Amino acid sequence: MKLLLALLLSIPLLAQDAAAPAAQTTPAPAPAASEAPAASPSPTPSTEQWLTGSLDFGYRFASVGGSNDTYRSVVNLGQGPRLLGLDFTVVDPKKRLFDRLDVRAYNWGGDPYNTVHVDAAKRGIYDFNFDYRDIAYFNFLPSFADPLLGSGIVLDENSYDTRRRMSDFQLDLFPGHRIVPYFAYGRDSGHGTGITTFETDANEYPVYDSLFDKTDNYRAGVHLEFNRYHITLEQGGATLREDQQANTSTFNAGNNPVPFFGQQLDLTGLAQAYGIRGDSIYSKGLFTADPVSWADFYGQFLYSRPETNVNYSQLNEGSFVVLSSLLFYTGEQALAFAETKEPHTSASFGFELRPWKRIRIVENWMTDRLHTAAAGLLTDMILSPAASVQTTPLPLTSALVMNYNQEQIEVLVDVTRKLTVRGGYRYVWGDAETDAALIAGPGPESSDLRQNVGLAGATFRTGQKLSASVDFEDASSSHAYFRTSLYNYQKMRARARYQALSKLALQATFSLLNNQNPTPGINYDFLSRQNSLSATWIPSKRITVLGEYTRSTLRSNINYLEPEFLIPELSLYRDNAHGASALVDVALPGYAGLTPRLAFGGSLLVSSGSRPTTYYQPLARLNVPLHKGLSWNSEYRYYGYGEVFYSYEGFRAHLLQTGVKLSR
Amino acid sequence: MPVPLLALRKRRLLAALVFPIAAAAVLLPGWPAGAQTPTPAAPAPGAPAYVGSETCQPCHEDIYNAFQKNPHKLVDTQKRRGWEARACESCHGPGGKHAESADKKDILNPAAMPADKAARDCLKCHLNQPTHIGRLQSSHASNEVSCTACHAIHRNGPNGLAPRKMAAINEQCASCHTAVWAQFQRPYKHRLPEGAMSCVDCHNPHGSIQHASLQTYAANERPCFRCHGNLRGPFTFEHAPVRLEGCGACHEPHGSANPRMLTRAEVRYMCLECHANLPVAPVKNPPALGGVPPAFHDLFSPQFQNCTVCHLKIHGSYVSQDLLK
Repeated sequence: MKLLLALLLSIPLLAQDAAAPAAQTTPAPAPAASEAPAASPSPTPSTEQWLTGSLDFGYRFASVGGSNDTYRSVVNLGQGPRLLGLDFTVVDPKKRLFDRLDVRAYNWGGDPYNTVHVDAAKRGIYDFNFDYRDIAYFNFLPSFADPLLGSGIVLDENSYDTRRRMSDFQLDLFPGHRIVPYFAYGRDSGHGTGITTFETDANEYPVYDSLFDKTDNYRAGVHLEFNRYHITLEQGGATLREDQQANTSTFNAGNNPVPFFGQQLDLTGLAQAYGIRGDSIYSKGLFTADPVSWADFYGQFLYSRPETNVNYSQLNEGSFVVLSSLLFYTGEQALAFAETKEPHTSASFGFELRPWKRIRIVENWMTDRLHTAAAGLLTDMILSPAASVQTTPLPLTSALVMNYNQEQIEVLVDVTRKLTVRGGYRYVWGDAETDAALIAGPGPESSDLRQNVGLAGATFRTGQKLSASVDFEDASSSHAYFRTSLYNYQKMRARARYQALSKLALQATFSLLNNQNPTPGINYDFLSRQNSLSATWIPSKRITVLGEYTRSTLRSNINYLEPEFLIPELSLYRDNAHGASALVDVALPGYAGLTPRLAFGGSLLVSSGSRPTTYYQPLARLNVPLHKGLSWNSEYRYYGYGEVFYSYEGFRAHLLQTGVKLSR
Repeated sequence: MPVPLLALRKRRLLAALVFPIAAAAVLLPGWPAGAQTPTPAAPAPGAPAYVGSETCQPCHEDIYNAFQKNPHKLVDTQKRRGWEARACESCHGPGGKHAESADKKDILNPAAMPADKAARDCLKCHLNQPTHIGRLQSSHASNEVSCTACHAIHRNGPNGLAPRKMAAINEQCASCHTAVWAQFQRPYKHRLPEGAMSCVDCHNPHGSIQHASLQTYAANERPCFRCHGNLRGPFTFEHAPVRLEGCGACHEPHGSANPRMLTRAEVRYMCLECHANLPVAPVKNPPALGGVPPAFHDLFSPQFQNCTVCHLKIHGSYVSQDLLK
């Protein structure tokens, strides 16, 4: 049976009409204009170099003043020799294993962001891509999570120093043919250390933890591409492994050193381990079709069913208390097992009709449904000097259900050759149910989502001189899931681009979101605006000037209840920022046919409001060609970061980078 | 050995899936290749004639030479497209008249055409490909952003149609989305300005089933989980906004002045803005999902001012309903 299926699947592959390999085409002299076209010439002229590329390496000097932890959290560029860039292309004139191989690698040798990308292709046979990234994540900002800051202890209890590595491989077979099978594999992993808290009643203790997680993702599928329709079928699976551990064997007074009913609460030993194993299967089916010249159809069906299995263990020693019974104890052992499944289905179907030359009707429906269900058990044993007390096993059960649907229709009319207007309507509806309300919630809750949205837009363009577009949504809701969700909102985006002179191009953008939820007790008032103006000016062949300025404002007011006494309060958030960036590129007077270049500019951010911040990033670059294929590059960057409320987190960094670039 | 009933059903299901695909691929009109090719209609008497790509070379030599290594060169060589040796005219229309007059009015120029008309030109070949499955949801399409705004059709090299280097991709997107790029100049952001990520890692410029043209990961998951797989879950106790509204409910992925790219300067306000319902019995359609605020927390004390110091599994917990561990 399996053999039969395999044979059946392979028949269409074998029957494909192979694209004429470029190598087999006969290079032909260019015929006269009147001659009928002959066989195509070779895509690779024989004079082409088989290897081209560049190698950019150098040394970076770094000097950091102020908070080094914040510098590492924000910039994290260090000092030392660096491979700044490696970029090469190999063209095999005989086209044996590949027609062309492209390799790009950047920022190796100690930088926090290492990347490699490889593309290899043999026309009509395969297309292979590999992408690798290794990114350092360092975060230590006491202003974020330091309950002890008032007592002079500077510690971020949610800090981490980790690396994440992402690898992705994809192999497409027979690209350009009607049937294109493909195979892909991806891995995402993270490891490192950090500080987390171990939480008990009446106190919590910052402890070191080690982090490790890994996700492997496998998928394979086939594209069936025909002239009138296309189908893609994909089957995939993923596995997850997460092992987080927190250990300590030293005395820890925790965040609350005040004795509780006369007794000091502390932690003297902890062994906490999460063993999470997960897997997922997923399927994807896509189709597009244009059975007639005036209609296109699109559809997709996506299904995934991730699940996780939990093995959690915890052993802690010290002095603790159970608040509900005022039971003081010296140790605790907890074990938990749980299993969670989350079937998730998404689908969409739509079409574009062009009944008349100037009118397009676009209709689209989509749905997204997931249902999370978890079951498990937590056993907790309290150890006290007098006797051990076994608590009742606690069931770990929860459910989360979400059904989201959206229906949208839009009509686009080409009023003139230069002006297109559109209008439409979207209806969004759904429901959600959760029984795991956070923090002493009232228990199971369910809510609906009902939203009516009017859509409008226009596009205007006069050739390549001027183009402008406006996009507007006006929504009215009767139900929303969360207090801060979109409710009654207006969303607008406008963009205009104008080629004022042959050497000067201007662009302006404007976006607005105004969201109001007048429900008593919520009274959410949110308004954000972004205005941006940019210009590209090329006053001469030697000089290019790019400039951009953005003004953004954000206002958010919402009622909330002050937790201790449930008194209504107003949460205010403001973020008003000026942002600008510029780059001036100048070709300096040349020598021996070589032209040095100088570029300078940078960016700045000055914001006021709830977290006033300044962030300056000026830079200057000098490129001096020494010989054909050899240049000396230098770059100076300054990072200046300051905060009004958390001045101890400011930093200033000078970075000077110099090196040579070899290119061929 | 008797075959278990379940296994038999699975095989039948598999066969039911595979047979139609194989049969459709073999039997449907258009198979074998070439039978359904959209051969250009023979020009009407007096209409401009097709003259072939070679005719374009003498006047447009730079473009012609660059085109030899361009992916669209395939159009010149593949029979099934129906434009063998006429790749130029597959987009620009019959060039007979233009070849005689050398007048630009006598040839179609997709770059100067209305975006939708130009797109239809491209979609003649590219509609029935997986790339365009999200086209109806694409704001680029609805805002009439032409394919040629991003794709340099004639440019040299197989990777020349669109930029491939991450810095170049970002530069291209930023040329229109200037305000978004300005957000990346803020201190806490994803590492796009450093060239470690690109806009298309998260967004699909051709449109997607997800909000804001987000890429999909593992069929229908958000693209965030491609790199943050440890936050994917599913968790025994989910934090509902993560599933219902996505990461953007609390994070500003393009950049923020607030640590962790949060949408509020202080964590407690972000939590309390949602967890602020009056305690009521379980009801359908409460003012909003989310529990009552934690009554025993004194927010004047620094100990309680960052909720995630204790509720550290804020994205979802495997063992604690209160997201404590």
